[in-house]
Formats: sequence, C-alpha cells, structure tokens
Amino acid sequence: MSVIEVENLKYRYPDTTTLVLDDLSFSVEKGECLGIVGENTAGKSTLCYALAGLVPHFYKGAYGGKVTVNGLVVREHEIATIVENIGLVFENPFSQMTGAKQTVYGEVAFGLENMGLPRKNMHTRIEKYLKLLDVYSVKDKNPFDLSGGQMQRVAIASVLAMEPEVLILDEPTSQLDPQGSKDVFKVIEQLTGKGMTIILVEHKMEQIAQYADRVLLLHEGKQIDLDTPEKIFSRLDLKEFGVRPPVVTSIAQALTIRYPDTQLYPVTIQEFKRLEEMK
Amino acid sequence: MNRFKLKDIAFSYSPDVSIFEGLDLTFDSQTTAIVGQNGAGKTTLVKIMKGLLKPSKGTLSIDGESIADQTAAQLAKRVGLVFQNPNDQIFKTNVLEEVMFGPLNIGFSRFEAEKGAREALKKVGLESKVSDNPYDLSLSERKLIALASILAMDTEMVIFDEPTTGQDFAGKEKIKAIINELKAEGKLILCILHDMDFAADVFERTVVLNQGEVILDGQTRDVFPEKNVLEKAYLEQPYVTQIAQALGYNDSFIHESELVAFLNNKK
Amino acid sequence: MNTMTLYVERNSPIHRLDPLVKLLYVAASILLTYILPEPLYIGGILFVTFLLLIIGKVFRNSLPIVTLSMFLIFSLVIVQGFFHPDNVTELFAIGPLVFYEEGLYVALVLVMRVLVMVGAFSLLILTTATDEMVERLIKKGMSPKIGHVILSVLQLIPQMRATMVKITDAQRSRGVETEGDLLTRVKAFFPLIGPVVLNSLNETKERSIALEMRGFDSPMKKTFLNEAKQYPHNKLIAGLITGIVILGIVWRVFG
Ligand SMILES: Nc1ncnc2c1ncn2[C@@H]1O[C@H](COP(=O)(O)OP(=O)(O)OP(=O)(O)O)[C@@H](O)[C@H]1O
Ligand SMILES: Nc1ncnc2c1ncn2[C@@H]1O[C@H](COP(=O)(O)OP(=O)(O)O)[C@@H](O)[C@H]1O
Ligand SMILES: [Mg+2]
Ligand SMILES: [Mg+2]
Repeated sequence: MSVIEVENLKYRYPDTTTLVLDDLSFSVEKGECLGIVGENTAGKSTLCYALAGLVPHFYKGAYGGKVTVNGLVVREHEIATIVENIGLVFENPFSQMTGAKQTVYGEVAFGLENMGLPRKNMHTRIEKYLKLLDVYSVKDKNPFDLSGGQMQRVAIASVLAMEPEVLILDEPTSQLDPQGSKDVFKVIEQLTGKGMTIILVEHKMEQIAQYADRVLLLHEGKQIDLDTPEKIFSRLDLKEFGVRPPVVTSIAQALTIRYPDTQLYPVTIQEFKRLEEMK
Repeated sequence: MNRFKLKDIAFSYSPDVSIFEGLDLTFDSQTTAIVGQNGAGKTTLVKIMKGLLKPSKGTLSIDGESIADQTAAQLAKRVGLVFQNPNDQIFKTNVLEEVMFGPLNIGFSRFEAEKGAREALKKVGLESKVSDNPYDLSLSERKLIALASILAMDTEMVIFDEPTTGQDFAGKEKIKAIINELKAEGKLILCILHDMDFAADVFERTVVLNQGEVILDGQTRDVFPEKNVLEKAYLEQPYVTQIAQALGYNDSFIHESELVAFLNNKK
Repeated sequence: MNTMTLYVERNSPIHRLDPLVKLLYVAASILLTYILPEPLYIGGILFVTFLLLIIGKVFRNSLPIVTLSMFLIFSLVIVQGFFHPDNVTELFAIGPLVFYEEGLYVALVLVMRVLVMVGAFSLLILTTATDEMVERLIKKGMSPKIGHVILSVLQLIPQMRATMVKITDAQRSRGVETEGDLLTRVKAFFPLIGPVVLNSLNETKERSIALEMRGFDSPMKKTFLNEAKQYPHNKLIAGLITGIVILGIVWRVFG
C-alpha cells in the first residue's frame, strides 16, 4: 500500500469562491520524494496543509474526497494523532516557532518531549540536527532573535528531529544561502534513502530535477501532470502553467540538445554534459 | 539622491557579539545586490540605513549630508525598505489601506495616495485583490503587497530584503521589471538576495558580505567568476556560470542568453 | 527584543522556588484578602508580596504591570467613591464632586485587593520561566490540552508587547513619527492599539498551530529535556502558606 493516497481531493477556504484544490488524485510510495511545482497561488501550500491535516481541521471551508497517510484517514483523526506520522515544515519559518521555549535548543527539544522520546536519546538527536543544519552555534539564542535564514534552519531541524515517516517541506530553502540550501537537499536525499517519504514544494527547479523522483504539476488547484522530472520539464507548454524548467533544460531547448531516443531534454548539468559530449 | 554613504559603522545586538566593526560602504546610482551567508548581517545593515537600528559608532550620510539626527519617520520620505518577512510589515486588514498607509503618512493627499497605491498594486499584479484581507492571501502574495506598499511611497531610494523569496518565475520577472523601471526613474536601488541567478541577471554591482565585512565588491560580471571567495562566503556561482564551467568554458557568463549565443556560435 | 515571555532571569531564592508553590502563594494571598477584608490585613499581605518581589529582584520589573493596573484601580476609586449605595458620611468634596467615607472604604479595599492580585501574579510570572511552569503542571498530571491553553494565556502579554514593537517599526518605517517628546509618543500610541490587538489574535492562532503540529496536544506520555529540578524546602513552604490560610479562616470565624 502507498504511504500517501489522495483521492478526488477538493477544497476551498471559507471565504473564497473558487476551488483552491480541484479534484486531485495521486499516491506516493514509501521512500519516494515527490516534488510539487506550480506558479504562485497554484495551491501548493494548501495541498501541504491538506496532507498534514491542517485542512480541514484548522482551516475549515468546503472539503471533499479522501486523504490517507500511513493508513490514517486525515479527516477522521485529530491533528495530535496525525503528527505522530507526519512532519510539516512551513513556508514561513516564523510560523513554526512555538514560543514555548526560550532557546533554539529547547525549541528543537519541544517536539521530542511531546512524542515521549527518552531523555538520554534527546541530546544526541538535538545536537545531530542542529549541527546538520549548521545552527549549533546559535543553540542558546532565543528563536525569535534569529536572522530569517537561521530561523528557517531551526524550523527544519525541529521537524526533522522528530524523524517522521512522512516529511512535507513547503519551500524549505527559500531564505537559505546557496550552500545551506544545497546541504538541506543532501539531507533530503539521505533521508529518502533511509525510507522516509518526502513531499517537496520548490521554486528552484534545478533542485527538483536533481532530487525529486516524480513531479506533480499544479495549476489553479488542478493536477496538470504527474511524471518524472525529465518528462515534466520537457513539456513545451510548461510556461503556460507559470513554471520555467531548470536553466540547463531551457539552454538545451534553445540549442535542441536532447536524448535522441526519447526526445526528452536533460534536466541536470551532468546529463547536459553527457549529451554535449556524445555529439 | 545620488549617494548613500556608511562610514565606520559599528553595531551589536548584545554586548558580547558584534555584528559590524567599522564597516564602510557607499551606494550610488548603480543597482546593487548584496549577497552573503545566513546571519552575515545583511538585514541588520539595511535596518541601520533605514534608521530602525542605531549604530553604536560611525556616520550615515546622504549626498554628503549627515542623517544622524533624523528619525526613522523623517527618513521614510526618502528611503523605502521592503521587509524580509511580510508579516513584520503588514498590519492592516485591507490590501488597499495597507498600501495607502505609507503615502498618506508622508504627505500624499488621499487622492494621490489611492492612485499611487493602485498603480503599485498593478505593477505587482495584484490589482484584483484590493479589497482582500492580506491574511487570507498566500505568502508570495503578501510579499508582493509589502513591496507595493513601499513602491507607492515613491521614495528616492528603495531597499529590498530578499524580494524574490517564494516567487515563481513570473513573480521574479515582475520584480525585475520594477527594479529596471525604478532605475530608469533615477532612484537608488539596493537589494539583498540569496538567488545568485537573479543577482547576476539584474544588478550592475554586487557586494558580498561575510560576517559583517565586505569581502568582495565590484561589477557583477567581475564578482561572480570569483568562485573561491564566493564559496568562502557560503555562496555559489549562478547556474549559467556553473553550466559554462562544466562544459569547460571559463569566460564569465552571467546571462542565459549569452551562453546560448556562445554555444550556438560554436556549432 | 522579541521574546515571548515576561520572565526575568535573576538569581534569587524566589526564582528557585517550585512554580507550584508560587502558584499556591497567588491563590492563598488572593483568598486571604477575601477571608480578612480589612485594610490592615490586606495591607499586611500587600507588604509581604512586595517584599517578596524585592527579594526576587523583580520589583522594578513589576512596576509597569502595577502602573498599568493603576488605571483600572483609579476608575474603581472614582466609581465607588461617588456611587456606592451605602454612601452617607460625606468626607470631602472637590467642586461639585462629593466623596463619601463608605464608598472610599470599599474602594480602598478593592484597590488593595487588586494590588495584591497584580503583585502576586507578577511575582509568579516574573520569577518563573514559562516552560518550567507548564512542564511542572504537566508533570503533576494536568492534561496537555489545558497546558496548551495556559501557555497561550501566559504568552498573550509578551506576544502583544512583541507585536507592538513589530508594528511600531512597520509604522515608523513608513513615516509615522514615534520618537521624540511625550506628546508625539502618545499620539503614536493610539493608532497602534487596533492593529496590535488584531495581529496578536492572528499570532495566537499561528502559535497555536505551531504547538499542535509539534504534538503538544498528543495524549502520549511526555518526557522532558531537563531533569526534574530539586526544589528546597518545598513541603515546608507549602505547609506554611496553607497554615497561614487556615489560621486566617480560624481568626475570621472565632476572632
Ligand atoms: N533581534 C535580534 N536580536 C539578537 N540577535 C539578532 C537579532 N536579529 C538578528 N540577530 C543576529 O544578528 C546576526 C545578523 O542577522 P541578520 O538578520 O542581519 O542576518 P542576514 O544576513 O539578514 O541573514 P539571512 O540571510 O538569514 O536573512 C545573526 O547572527 C542573528 O542571529
Ligand atoms: N488562509 C487563507 N484563507 C483564504 N484564502 C487563502 C488562504 N491561504 C491561501 N489562500 C488562497 O488560496 C490560493 C492558494 O494559495 P496557496 O496554497 O498558498 O498557493 P501556493 O502555495 O501555490 O502559492 C490563493 O489564491 C490564496 O490567495
Ligand atoms: Mg505556498
Ligand atoms: Mg536577512
């Protein structure tokens, strides 16, 4: 059985008139990294909320269809139960800070306390993730006194530390410096290798191309396509949905460098180089 | 305004850690991108320029005239800052009122303010949202509203703190167009960015800030080939440059079109 | 400053007390003002409370809170002084305003009672880290859902303060004069109130989501990062406070 199953999901916020999610159906397998791409207001964040249960438990409005995560029907369980299986990193890291603890260290500990992790394991976990996201040096600062990027790192660390089976990342690197964002994607790759299922919303198509196994293309709440990065980014009508392929792909398109057999364009620098050399 | 100058600036949030110790920087009519590691002090720098934070040492001057004794409110007529987090900037429950707030405070008439606000909203493509509550909009839309509220004030200098965060391709194109338009109007433009491709594509000058110090400052085209310095500051080269290098071309390519033209010529 | 707490970090014996004991003190002191509602006794409790604030090295920090409640207190005095139904004995008059002894007496008791409440709560909040208190309560078996509510309430004031700083920055960076003489600052204050309240509400909602998404309401048994603190003389102090309350009751009934 798939880890995530979405069947005919429809949703609109209480005071909106049009559907923000319009009849989505897909499933995600264990250990898979599913990329979600789409223009602004396509409904990406709302879809993340729906997977994590904030829709419909917190954001009311009209809801239809069924979302199942790890066998739990999201609509029928409280958020407290759902979060045992799912971690969500918010688009705005400021929204992730609980204010319950006075230090970055405590903020990361908070989730672990709530899930009842034994104390002796706690310190090693917290330190591991603080170091992984390079915020160990600010561990004693108040979470609200951080720079934007530092706060985003702490937000990711605090969710990762809970080691959920399904991890949803809503533009997790939007405020990170280039190396920081590279590090985060490396971590994502490691985690999927260990069987974690990841949903990744990103505007950096280069990263989606590199790390996502499949890509869901959303537009005005509708599921336009769900396929491999090569297929999605080779679509010639991609721009109509407000999405631009990775820089390599658009250069390859301009130069018509593509795989002779499939007619698909390369999506990473490595592939591009290989094709160039083959010529 | 022709020149905004910072001289020998020192600042710290807490006594034991200093953010700047004797920083010198001058901004002029060249559009400038500031890039640097998380926590480098970029936001702190622009808050100092805006008068929201007071440096413990050093002078700030506009066209040679010190602005030390000006309050943030007085400075607001001349310098606009779009905040990194729109939630820190937006406080009204109606989009149009939010965008009109600044202009009304710096002496625009209601009529002028509304006209300016509608124009600004049009530039960011949100004219249809005038009567919405900003809290019911997505983060990327709120970011554009924050941007429009500063545009509407029509200040001589405009500072953007990571404007492209969370923006899709079209959003970035809009911001690019706005920056170029402001430049054509003769305004001073300063922009903090983590998006190297956008920095390389749009700005004439690039400043690399690392741990409160300027470690590189020059024409964008000369800055981005400096791979080693960039890496030291936890940065990367733009994708275009990376692709060119992977293919074995060491010339400095910073626009996609340049590389395409170059490769086309090769064939 | 953007911290979500009113807690003042100091090294004092009051800080080292068990939060539950301090909570008990709050309850006891308020209770006593009802058991023994005479100015003399309430004055005594008030004296002890302020003494404790001084020992806790947070007296100065409590002043803004007390001042703020003075506003409330002042209006109480006026209303009671004028309009108390038992008003017969005229004490003095300012122009057409006549103050009566009975009314003022009731007002005085009320004022002192409010001061005790504010003082005792300040003592608790200013010398106790929010997380320590919530942790202690949850360890005592309180349901996490109630913990959630208490935490949100405790965060309310600091949150409003942080929001106020935030919105002030947003406003002055768009031309509202907030610096300068008192008049300017007072003028800048009023347009702040609406947005601060609205924003705080939104923020409370946001924090609430953050707490829930980190499993705060989870029925699972929690663990704690910090080992249970040893509180010295815990039983003794709690016993003492309870004893005084009982003594107060006895005094009231038989005295
Ligand atoms: N209000 C504050 N109180 C204390 N320290 C702060 C505060 N704001 C920022 N800092 C610290 O000052 C340093 C510089 O922060 P600043 O926000 O200027 O960084 P930045 O370059 O804008 O980073 P980013 O790219 O992450 O936005 C950081 O180490 C940060 O932790
Ligand atoms: N809390 C909310 N209340 C009402 N409408 C909302 C809310 N959040 C988002 N929306 C609307 O839902 C649509 C989709 O938003 P979102 O899911 O945030 O898009 P994306 O993440 O793809 O940019 C947008 O039109 C947005 O204005
Ligand atoms: Mg989004
Ligand atoms: Mg910043």
